[in-house]
Amino acid sequence: MNGKEHGRAIDLITRHDIEGIADADARWLEIHLQECEECASFDRALSGAAHAIRSVTVMASASLIESTRARVHLRAQQLREQQARAMLIAVSFCLGVVTSTLTAWVWWKFGGWVAQSLGLPSGIVEPGVLLFWLLPAIVIAVLMVTYPPALFEGSLMQRYMKDRLRGMQ
Amino acid sequence: MVAAAFSSLITMETEEAQIATGLRRRDPDVLDALIEQYEHRLLRYLAHMTGNRATAEDLFQETWIRVLEKGHQYDGKSRFSTWLMTIAHNVAIDHLRKRNPASLDEMRDAEDAAPFEPVATGLSPFEHAAAAEDKARIQAAFDELPAIFREVLVLRFQEQMKLEEIAKLVGIPLATVKTRLYRGVMALRPTLGGGAL
Repeated sequence: MNGKEHGRAIDLITRHDIEGIADADARWLEIHLQECEECASFDRALSGAAHAIRSVTVMASASLIESTRARVHLRAQQLREQQARAMLIAVSFCLGVVTSTLTAWVWWKFGGWVAQSLGLPSGIVEPGVLLFWLLPAIVIAVLMVTYPPALFEGSLMQRYMKDRLRGMQ
Repeated sequence: MVAAAFSSLITMETEEAQIATGLRRRDPDVLDALIEQYEHRLLRYLAHMTGNRATAEDLFQETWIRVLEKGHQYDGKSRFSTWLMTIAHNVAIDHLRKRNPASLDEMRDAEDAAPFEPVATGLSPFEHAAAAEDKARIQAAFDELPAIFREVLVLRFQEQMKLEEIAKLVGIPLATVKTRLYRGVMALRPTLGGGAL
């Protein structure tokens, strides 16, 4: 008997319980186990281990299930709020970009008129125009950063997201 | 018979697809149902992996939080139970690495270095232990095993998973699954039998 036969026997012993083995393999294994005490010993150990492990019972308590559900629901609520907040930031960002782009020409002309009327040098006017041009985006960014998440609860966007999620379900 | 098997396959596909849709929406009803359906199986797996009931309960909750967060990654094409156990495996491994960062790697090295060959002969002490129904002793012997062996034994004997499924879940080659199963079984024998081999 060589190592290859032992390897085949071990493989068949391991598989026969769950995957199942072909009849020819089963017959070969039966003969092999009668002749090989090493493999027969492994066969017995495997059956014993399977029986022992299956006999161990671990039950989840009702309190564990309840607390798990509570934690999962709370986390789901947090994720929904984060999602709604991210949506609000994205919409605000897009509005800021659109507003800044559309008003760029107006601000530039306004700056030119102010500079001409007051006789200001272009070194002051140009940064000023730039500041006013970016003002909507800066205001939105400050509001987004300082806006407490607690105040977000009940906002129009929050209600919109809740309705959307309800609609999806 | 073929029709029944086909019908059962369709039902399973539909069920898995429904779970995937529910997880993508983070539907609380779907999550509640899944927690109830897999409560004992998941806790049992984690308890065997960690060897500690309190830790297993913490990881149980952590697993479901991760299912919620990563639910959109489940495509509904594979069995949900396998995907759930993969999440649980990763949660448990993260925990074991934090607790003892070197232990898992050390066990892997030792395992890879050793050849896969049948070892000592003799009567199985399990036969006596099982006959005596000494559950506490069996549990203690099992808890003595390194986590990587315990995991494969639990997935195989309690979850009735195929060797290929275990390999996929744990992320190791099929040959390594067989080695761990063999070594796990053989390592249990002397412990239960008072060292007789």
